[in-house]
Amino acid sequence: MRAVLLVFRNELHRVLTLRPAFAVLVIAAALYALLYPQPYLSESLRKSPIAVVDQDHSTTSRDLIRRLDATPDVAVLSVDPDLPAAQRRVFARDASGILVIPEGFERELLRGNSSPVALYADASYFLIYQRVALGVVSVVRTLGAEVEVRRLIGLGVDAPRATAAANPMPLTTIALFNPQEGYASYVLPAAFVLILQQTLLIGVGLLGTMPGAASVWRRPDGRSFAGPLATVSGKLLAYLMLEAVIVPFYLVVLPYLYGIPRLGSVGAMLLFAVPFIMATGALGLVIAALFRSPLAVQLTMAAIGMPFFFLSGFSWPVEAMPKTAQWLAQLVPSSAAIDGFVRLGQLGAVLSDVRGQVSVLCSLALAYTLAAVLLEARSRSRLAETEFNRV
Amino acid sequence: MRRRGDLRFGFSLVFWREVSWLRRRPLLLMMTTIIPLAVMALLATVFSAGLATRLPIGVIDLDGSELSRSLVRTVDATPETSVTEHLTDLAQGRQMILSGRIHGLLLLPQNLQRDVLSGRQPEVVFFYNAQTLTTGNLVLRGINAAIPTVSAGIRLSLRTAQGSPTVQATASLQPIPVQVNPLFNPSLSYTFFLLATLLPTVLQIVVTTTSAYSVGLDVETPYRLRILRRLGGGLWPAMAGKVLPYTILFLLVLGLADAVLFGVLGLPLSGSRLLLIVAAILFILACQMIGGLLALLLRPMASAVSIATLITAPAFGFMGIGFPRFGMNLFSYWWGALMPGTWFLTARIDQTLRGTPPDLSLQPVLILGIFVLVPGLLAALRLEALRRRAAETPPQPTSAPQEAT
Repeated sequence: MRAVLLVFRNELHRVLTLRPAFAVLVIAAALYALLYPQPYLSESLRKSPIAVVDQDHSTTSRDLIRRLDATPDVAVLSVDPDLPAAQRRVFARDASGILVIPEGFERELLRGNSSPVALYADASYFLIYQRVALGVVSVVRTLGAEVEVRRLIGLGVDAPRATAAANPMPLTTIALFNPQEGYASYVLPAAFVLILQQTLLIGVGLLGTMPGAASVWRRPDGRSFAGPLATVSGKLLAYLMLEAVIVPFYLVVLPYLYGIPRLGSVGAMLLFAVPFIMATGALGLVIAALFRSPLAVQLTMAAIGMPFFFLSGFSWPVEAMPKTAQWLAQLVPSSAAIDGFVRLGQLGAVLSDVRGQVSVLCSLALAYTLAAVLLEARSRSRLAETEFNRV
Repeated sequence: MRRRGDLRFGFSLVFWREVSWLRRRPLLLMMTTIIPLAVMALLATVFSAGLATRLPIGVIDLDGSELSRSLVRTVDATPETSVTEHLTDLAQGRQMILSGRIHGLLLLPQNLQRDVLSGRQPEVVFFYNAQTLTTGNLVLRGINAAIPTVSAGIRLSLRTAQGSPTVQATASLQPIPVQVNPLFNPSLSYTFFLLATLLPTVLQIVVTTTSAYSVGLDVETPYRLRILRRLGGGLWPAMAGKVLPYTILFLLVLGLADAVLFGVLGLPLSGSRLLLIVAAILFILACQMIGGLLALLLRPMASAVSIATLITAPAFGFMGIGFPRFGMNLFSYWWGALMPGTWFLTARIDQTLRGTPPDLSLQPVLILGIFVLVPGLLAALRLEALRRRAAETPPQPTSAPQEAT
């Protein structure tokens, strides 16, 4: 136990004094906290510009254009004479969609016929497509429903019955947990977990590969005072201590500062963080033992960080991933952690709802710790061998 | 004549030295080939389905009527959604959403059928998990397609019951139908949309950090830098010889990934191939120049690699694929403009998915050119300054017989 505490103290000292490690674990974490959320801070996409090709030039078509412009989703950028002109605007990314109101639009409506309009929405960016399609369709539907009610009344149906016949079974959709469907509220709670993991992985990787890594478990004269198990435990304790400051900042203070709603309890999230930090810290130790050079750690971790986000099943449903990808995803702590933290914090789940994720993280923590201890023992026998040969 | 020959000789000398470095340094080789290819393979696997279908949702059917059963059947038959759970109360449904077993919950109220037929407009409610935006929107799309279909059937039968002829009733059902045509990606495939943009993003990180590393290896000691210059026989051939092996390698990696993307996964290639290739070359060069410049300005090399990571790793959000750039705050808009990837992705989406007229893609390609020229020139200036500084310090005895000043 004394050995564990000694290693713990030494490693914590290294975290705070070794400049590259401190830079990654603390400074980079702070910079990312500032930089990463910037693109998403406006939360929702408003007023996507669309071009209208009005071939009808009627009162009704102008009314439709006015209504479109008044919605929060789209803004009418231009009323173009023909389709090619509008198309060019879409190609140039000035407009995100084209609404074509054909000639005879009003006439057909007045005759009691069906009078279609066509929307061409830019689907090379999905968020834009969604907003444009949603905005235009709802405006046109409202206008259509009004026309229908008027027609039914014209046929002699009384007004309330006409309204009911136009919409006999209204559908109400309720967006849970992120009612405004804000983009920052969607992306940040998950991204913060990934940033925590990546900074810890690189930090631990650097600590384990930089000169002086052996000084945490042996005296300058070369005598060791902590075995592999005690060394790994002491180090993990040190990381847990450090993250006890950083995790609450990232998962509680930052979301609060950025105005992201939180439904769940802080206590459950902090408890859930323990196996996550242990698994990540131990994985960091394994990486350090395998890579053996600080630059190798930095370079490879930089390259593989972002894909972890897409493995977590957060932005792309797990159900749609092939089994191999699902299985591989489970090997990285962030996958279960993002899922768990988002459920606890954003959905208001309790710990028993995320027991699956907890058990995955605990298994990972155990497995990686075991691997780290074995690798530590192996590296010691190698170290002893080279030192023996030198004598 | 001789001088020109020397220049060419110098370039190839540096070029082949770099190639032999790649052979001897496993980290460098791994970073330039295996790691980007492995990451791309992983991402391609994740998104290989392209479309997410049959996402699980739950139903609480309090009516148990013919109408409610037909609603459940229609929802289940919609491509996006699949009814996996039949529940009895909301608490149970909430529980299932929290634990992730279902993404949405459809509530069909008691007496639904009776109230619909008597014109009381009973409400059908759909709760969905909007925290996971993609999945939430997909199940919502399914419900939004399914319920109105059933609804339309009811409206039609209400009208024909009132005695209006079927044709006229159908016309009056939807006085203004909207034909929604998704431009450029008609099947709304995530492979086309996201995977195609993720690969260059990964490459931007890898090229920039690896360039900082490989240039850093030379800059770390003034001695190595002098050797490089002497081998090259001048500033420009030395730089070209240093940079080009990686450009070729990364282009091969991008080409291989794209061969899978366009060849196997069927991403459309409508547009000018020439522009696409020019943009790719400029993009790789731009990332190399930025990484190299960082290595020339920052020491130790680890700091250069760190800063390169800090800039490129969070770049995806700034490049406007998920959340478009025109919706961002001013800082993000301009920070995004400083990423070569922003312009490469613009040109790439233009010349693959969108089939944009080439003249409209010239702007992003020209901007990429500036991203090559400006950091390249700055790097050259910095190298000159380093050389002058080295010349001012007392010369060290070196054994370089071929030196001809």
